[in-house]
Amino acid sequence: MTLLHATWLFPPEGPGGRLFLWGDTWKAISPVQPGRSAPEHPLALTPDEVADWLDDNGYWSEALRPARATLTLPSRTQAARGRRSAGDQPWSGLPLQSGEPIPRQLEWWPWQVEGWALDPAGAAEWLSGLPLASGHPDMGDDLRWWTHLQRWALSLIARGRWLPQIEDGRARWLPLLNREGDRRRLEELAVGLPQVATCALAAGPEGDPALACRRPGNGRLRVASLLEALLDGQLRAGFKPDSDGLDPLLLAWQKALGKGDGQLHLDEEELERLTIATHHWREAVAGRVAPARACLELFTPAEGDELWDVRFSLQAEADPSLRVPAAVAWAAGDWGLQLGEVAVPQPSELLLEGLGRALTVFEPVERGLDATTPEAMQLTPAEAFVLVRTAATQLRDVGVGVVLPESLSGGLASRLGLAITAELPETSRGFTLGENLVWSWDFMIGGVTLNLRDLERLSAKRSPLVQHKGVWIELRPNDLRNAERFCNADPGLSLDDALRLTASDGDTFHRLPVHAFTAGPRLQAVMEQYHQQKAPDPLPAPPGFAGQLRPYQERGLGWLAFLHRFDQGACLADDMGLGKTIQLLAFLQHLKAEQELKRPVLLVAPTSVLTNWKREAAAFTPELAVQEHYGPRRPSTDAALKKALKGVDLVLTSYGLLQRDSELLESVDWQGVVIDEAQAIKTPTAKQSMAARDLARPGRGSRSGRFRIALTGTPVENRVSELWALMDFLNPKVLGDEPFFRQRYRLPIERYGDMASLRDLKARVGPFILRRLKTDKSIITDLPDKVELHEWVGLAPEQRKLYNRTVEESLDAIARAPLGQKHGQVLALLTKLKQVCNHPALALGEDVQAAVGNGVGNGAASGFAARSAKVQRLEEILEEVIEAGDRALLFTQFAEWGHLLKAHLERKWRQEVPFLYGNTSKTERQAMVDRFQDDPRGPQLFLLSLKAGGVGLNLTRASHVFHIDRWWNPAVENQATDRAYRIGQQNRVMVHKFITSGSVEERIDRMIKEKSKLAEDIVGSGEDWLGGMDMGQLKELVALQEPE
Amino acid sequence: MTVSSGAITTQLGDQGLGHQPWWVEQWMELINSYRFKKRLERAWEYARSGNVTSIRFEGRRVHARVQGSGEDPYKVKLWLDVLNDDDWGYVLDALTQKARWSAQLLAGVMPQDIERAFAASGKRLFPFKLQEVRSECSCPDKANPCKHVSAVFYLMGDRFSEDPFVLFQLRGRTRGQLLADLAKRRQKALAKQARQARARGQEPVMADTAAHPQHPAITDPNRWWRYGAALDPDLVVITPALEGESGLDAAGPLPLAEAPQFPEANQRFLAHVRHHGESMAALAMARAMDNGLSSPTDA
Repeated sequence: MTLLHATWLFPPEGPGGRLFLWGDTWKAISPVQPGRSAPEHPLALTPDEVADWLDDNGYWSEALRPARATLTLPSRTQAARGRRSAGDQPWSGLPLQSGEPIPRQLEWWPWQVEGWALDPAGAAEWLSGLPLASGHPDMGDDLRWWTHLQRWALSLIARGRWLPQIEDGRARWLPLLNREGDRRRLEELAVGLPQVATCALAAGPEGDPALACRRPGNGRLRVASLLEALLDGQLRAGFKPDSDGLDPLLLAWQKALGKGDGQLHLDEEELERLTIATHHWREAVAGRVAPARACLELFTPAEGDELWDVRFSLQAEADPSLRVPAAVAWAAGDWGLQLGEVAVPQPSELLLEGLGRALTVFEPVERGLDATTPEAMQLTPAEAFVLVRTAATQLRDVGVGVVLPESLSGGLASRLGLAITAELPETSRGFTLGENLVWSWDFMIGGVTLNLRDLERLSAKRSPLVQHKGVWIELRPNDLRNAERFCNADPGLSLDDALRLTASDGDTFHRLPVHAFTAGPRLQAVMEQYHQQKAPDPLPAPPGFAGQLRPYQERGLGWLAFLHRFDQGACLADDMGLGKTIQLLAFLQHLKAEQELKRPVLLVAPTSVLTNWKREAAAFTPELAVQEHYGPRRPSTDAALKKALKGVDLVLTSYGLLQRDSELLESVDWQGVVIDEAQAIKTPTAKQSMAARDLARPGRGSRSGRFRIALTGTPVENRVSELWALMDFLNPKVLGDEPFFRQRYRLPIERYGDMASLRDLKARVGPFILRRLKTDKSIITDLPDKVELHEWVGLAPEQRKLYNRTVEESLDAIARAPLGQKHGQVLALLTKLKQVCNHPALALGEDVQAAVGNGVGNGAASGFAARSAKVQRLEEILEEVIEAGDRALLFTQFAEWGHLLKAHLERKWRQEVPFLYGNTSKTERQAMVDRFQDDPRGPQLFLLSLKAGGVGLNLTRASHVFHIDRWWNPAVENQATDRAYRIGQQNRVMVHKFITSGSVEERIDRMIKEKSKLAEDIVGSGEDWLGGMDMGQLKELVALQEPE
Repeated sequence: MTVSSGAITTQLGDQGLGHQPWWVEQWMELINSYRFKKRLERAWEYARSGNVTSIRFEGRRVHARVQGSGEDPYKVKLWLDVLNDDDWGYVLDALTQKARWSAQLLAGVMPQDIERAFAASGKRLFPFKLQEVRSECSCPDKANPCKHVSAVFYLMGDRFSEDPFVLFQLRGRTRGQLLADLAKRRQKALAKQARQARARGQEPVMADTAAHPQHPAITDPNRWWRYGAALDPDLVVITPALEGESGLDAAGPLPLAEAPQFPEANQRFLAHVRHHGESMAALAMARAMDNGLSSPTDA
């Protein structure tokens, strides 16, 4: 698959440089031998391909111009195979691609690439249009880095943090990076810089590509220069003020600041003068971008002393904790010094300049600079207070570091807050949120506790910095008042408060921040489970549960029961294959066994899995009375439904009926509502979402609350937009109303990728979502490496009709057929029925165009899926596979089906789905396999025919195997499964076997399982048995058994 | 532009003298101490109406051209007595003693007590009397300073505010020379301290001068492609500058001597830049709000 990259071409590539867009893709090719110039990148997209991609995705810009660059890329090299006579090139190589495993033989080679370039102004505009959060899957990480850089440039422009300057004889708009936040940001972007963003090498004087490499560098200055280029490009645009009343010097400067290359038309001396004056102008605001800065470190007075010590030091911009005392900077001299990984040239000038700047905002420093090489000074208490309160910020803003004692270093910890100790009351079981805790509290500030009397005493000193219990703390005027107000309020602390206060940092209780929360052992146990810091206490399989629970399933059951006791809705979001169905059934059986299941529970699921639920319930929880509310014969009045539900524990229905029969269903006093495949209610305004939400809240007639459980295999917590609807179903108060949620979480996270909001959101919903991954071997210790899952599906109406008609007509024909043809006709019938179970289009021989259509997007795709329950279910599972970034093999025995499904899946997921079958040529086969196995961004789905793809191939990149239709012989299926489940497989393999219930597929499955005589015949002795069947046996084999 | 009671300001804008750095003010006071007020007024006229067509600092001398009543402009030369190497030696020794002097100069500020360092050599940085400013003019006027020279005096004051090191240059040391000499002397002082420390049996502080370390991307090619960071929360919502917080606000007036025939040129220029900056800020915020709206992922 293609991956788009963006690399900066530094000047002289146009004034200020240009942004170069290029892409690579995966191909199987042989390594390239280096020649006299840099070789062409063999995997790069052609300029036309790049242009097409940009156009297709709405990112084409008229400002793009063709360009070529020489890029330094990590490359895989090897000694050339074959003859190695002296003088021949002994090496050959290939550029590495993002995500490829790192080879042992790694070198850095220059590669020539063609693509498109934008000037700085065009680049800024283009980057502003890209998504800031997780972008298009075809866009490299480097593009996201660029969007962040441009976002910063926008912020600097919005805040006016720039000055016009003259640099190297050109007029430029220069960003001012002296503010603390901007300095930190430069550091972060430099540390995160993907080297590909700056790996271009300038072309030679003739534009010829140089055969040389660019070293990866300390990105700081590079990143600053990129930011300068983007900001300069944007501010140039439209700067064309009138020239009246300007002297020639300013006029030349003003002109050069507008569109163009910034060249000033001035003689050398005037230029020099203007340059010095503008630099002098800027220096008062911001120094140059340097690797380190001067720093003042404040120390509290020694015992019995009045004066505070300040020590001078040099601090690395990259890491404020890296400091050397001034003495070292003075001693370093001309050689410079090393601060961790950072080289600092001329450290003493840097220190002096910073101290000079410090002097302009914090006058007392002057006293400290009387010596030749000063290292420290002392401050009076009043001066120390000024430094702590106001000067520290000002100093940081002029680019001078300040390090304060921990208890005074600002932030929440140095504010007056609370230290709370709490425990559950003796009599409590800790199951109701509103109940009050036994608790005590102290005031806390700067890490020390104090009581109201201490506060009063310290306030009386009328000194802002006071010492208490050996620690210096800062008291603010309001502190005493806030403390008194809190004491007068004398609030109680509920379990709900405790859970909220411990959920995330920075929560306040009666306007005071909570600095410390100590829970007694019993409260601690409740909180740990609630916050999922501890795995929930496991609950063994309840009596009456006909099956085994694995340990993690027992924990899942314990967790469901735990939240149920709190009357909190729960979302079980375990990875596919971990048995969500079983855990839910065990939970219902647990209620039943505890005699707590008094009213029916409604379970809503997609039609395609209703059959599965019914079968699993019958198998694992035979004591539960299960009823389907589905089909034309379902009760249609309140009374009829009430009658039908007598003694029923679990009612299954579909999302479609939830909507259509919503009033009817609301008339029932449900004990609980469970939604399976909960992503179905992701759209808050969709009818089925609203119906589900309405059902989650008991009506007026209800006697008591209703439990809510959602099941899903998708990583819900990462789909911000879908979380609100889910939580509104589970626990409506947690995320507030929709407009609030949108403003507070959705917009910041989705549009700007705001991590702070995301963390807060996750902390809020975390207690209600349990998701375990099958890859997490620390949790799922007991799952075998190969898990077989039976996917039971029904038939769509069209399939059902077609199936019945085929059976009828064929049985008639077979009964009449001469003995010699009978055998062939039976075989044809079985094949036809299996095709119907896949899709009517396959059975009716429709061609790809007619069946899948030309339409683009989900409309056409859903039309095709609607005709087959199996395809619907397949899509649901594949959704999870694709979401998780996994790869899957899909086996079928019908080549025609492969073609239909390929067309359908490619349209649905807009990605290539290769299909390997009998007619695939040998080279094509190898190419498909190589891409699937080796391309880091290769296709996720791989269709294979059972015959052509079932043997010989090594496809260990797949962690899912789908058997879409059944073969008579399990050995053949197993052999196909082993394409993925073999040596080299690093993950668990999930094997999904589709079985259409009631149909011939189920009969075959049962026969194989029961190892019946018939099955032995089938497996062992070919097809002879077919002829030997009498009509009764045949009818029993093929006729559709309607669910009772 | 007022001429009042003999004190003439050269400040061409609205701002009073109070906004001038002190060393520029001191220069102005020097000029205004001249006895012949009439001549000064004429010189001020000249300066204001743009008769001074060029001022160049060439090494230790100032060359200027002043359009007089004649056809060709007169050539004016100005210079100060240069300090000899010995004198500079004393000055540098004195400057080295207080780190503050170097610190302020490096931060672009002329230390208020700079003359105390020069006192060590018995010389001064600023001329004490106008007579110490040597001048030559190609005009026939016998008086010195003539009005042409005086006109140049006025304009030089502004030049000093462009770069405080100009005065040192006129006294014989460029910025680069001065800083290098100061660094050398600090080293010497440190070496002496170290010797004394060793004599007392203490280990002197040493800087870590390890070789430049290898960039991590050399061994980890993933650094070539990967970028895992999320957008800085502060960049989520893009906000305008608070009042007085922009770079232009902080930098203040442009320290560029104005050509007298273009009064208020600096202010006009800054107004243009400020106006442009404000409209670009509005545009930037609009762009930031629209980000990603048109992208396919938001659909």
